[in-house]
Amino acid sequence: MRYGMVIDLKRCVGCQACTVGCKAENGNGPDIMYTKVLDQVSGEYPNVRKQFVPVLCNHCKDAPCVRVCPTGATYKREDGLVLVDHDKCMGCRACYVACPYNNRIFLKRGKLKTGYYGKEMTPYEQVKYPEHQDGIVEKCKFCSHRIDAGLTETSCSQTCPADARIFGDLDDPESKVSRLIRSRGGRQPLCEDDTDPSVYYLD
Amino acid sequence: MGRSIPLVEKEFVTGFRQQKEWAGLIASAFFFGKVGSGLFIMSVFLDSWLGMLVGLLIVLCGKGGAHMLYLGRPLRFWRGMSKPGTAWVSRGIWAMTFMMAAGFALLALPAGSSLYMPLAVFAVISAFVVAVYDGFLLTSSPAIPIWNTALMPVMCMFYSFLGGTTMVMFMSHLGLMPLSEKFTGLLPNLEIALLVANLLIVLLFLIGSINTGSAGRESFDLLVKGPYAVPFFSLAIGVGLVFTLLMSVFGGAHAGAGTVALITVADLVGHFFIFFLLLKIGVFKPVLGFLKI
Repeated sequence: MRYGMVIDLKRCVGCQACTVGCKAENGNGPDIMYTKVLDQVSGEYPNVRKQFVPVLCNHCKDAPCVRVCPTGATYKREDGLVLVDHDKCMGCRACYVACPYNNRIFLKRGKLKTGYYGKEMTPYEQVKYPEHQDGIVEKCKFCSHRIDAGLTETSCSQTCPADARIFGDLDDPESKVSRLIRSRGGRQPLCEDDTDPSVYYLD
Repeated sequence: MGRSIPLVEKEFVTGFRQQKEWAGLIASAFFFGKVGSGLFIMSVFLDSWLGMLVGLLIVLCGKGGAHMLYLGRPLRFWRGMSKPGTAWVSRGIWAMTFMMAAGFALLALPAGSSLYMPLAVFAVISAFVVAVYDGFLLTSSPAIPIWNTALMPVMCMFYSFLGGTTMVMFMSHLGLMPLSEKFTGLLPNLEIALLVANLLIVLLFLIGSINTGSAGRESFDLLVKGPYAVPFFSLAIGVGLVFTLLMSVFGGAHAGAGTVALITVADLVGHFFIFFLLLKIGVFKPVLGFLKI
């Protein structure tokens, strides 16, 4: 079992619904995004191409963040998920500079004291913020809480209106993700870094 | 390819991104770690009790203090010792702990103790690891190509020896470290040799950085042409190496305490800024660098 995600760049319309869905699912504060969609414009007028590139933690098989973490806070589960134990992280940010995909977020001290709307937190923030800690590093969890509860989709893949994000088991040759990678030639981001990411992009 | 991809900040666009997390406090920790351990190593060889004490205190208060100020959760610092098998941060904390334990034990030993030599060897090895592990820490981060060079630990080692030598010269001129005539004559020459070596290493690092891929090239451009060029050429190279070298060659340790104080300040300024700037220029590659029209 190795969970992974396939991102179909041809389908992504850059609506950021996944970004919002993720924030709502995890109750992330301002500036904290486990996933987001980046724009890329290349070429010069009149030959211009715009593409949307969703990014998130790649849950690498050989994750540099796991290797460099001095506390063991970042660890790898048997199902391929790379997670952070909030109670162990000391906030040294070695993982932040080791992640080739720059998909780790450091929560500054005091970041969770105020919500989106000034001094008072909304009832939703009051419920969700205690799940986080400031002064530590966070990142996408591939919705481990949903997987543990028996669900088969992450929040971002479920929210995506264009079906551009497909979540599944990379070790199962008959899963939708494996079939898409085989048939469409999925590419891993920054494969030259030899981290073996669990996220594949389809052109 | 690198020329067509922008350097971006927090915008939702693809491009090179500068690392912003490791900067002033980490550079201070690197600086104090190298100067303190360099001074400690030199003092053990010169058998200077005060030099060893000052070296240990610089590492303990300077490096340790900067790290504690930097950590998001400083009270969990002890957890950082959990994974010396894979993490250079852990190895660094262990090396610092061993250096402190062996160093202070060395200071407390009575003269002529049989334990002195084994403890001194252990303390010097630990101090050496403290001096160079920063380089390995940077090299082990695959995300930032300009740091992935074997020259990093070498640069750390030579800067540490240079800082230690300069501090010994300074302290001996203040009368805090009485040295034999042999060493008094040797130190200025060692200082010049280390300055030349550091200049060569920085030059080699720059030459090597040109061909470290598009992100490495972006870092190189930031350092020599971009916003960090002025502090790099004026403070890190100009003041820290060239001015110090000229002062050492033409003034030298024999020119008086004022000149030595000036050399010390210039050397330390350059030392801090070179590593501060090397941290600042760290650039991540774009996630999908291959996208072109």
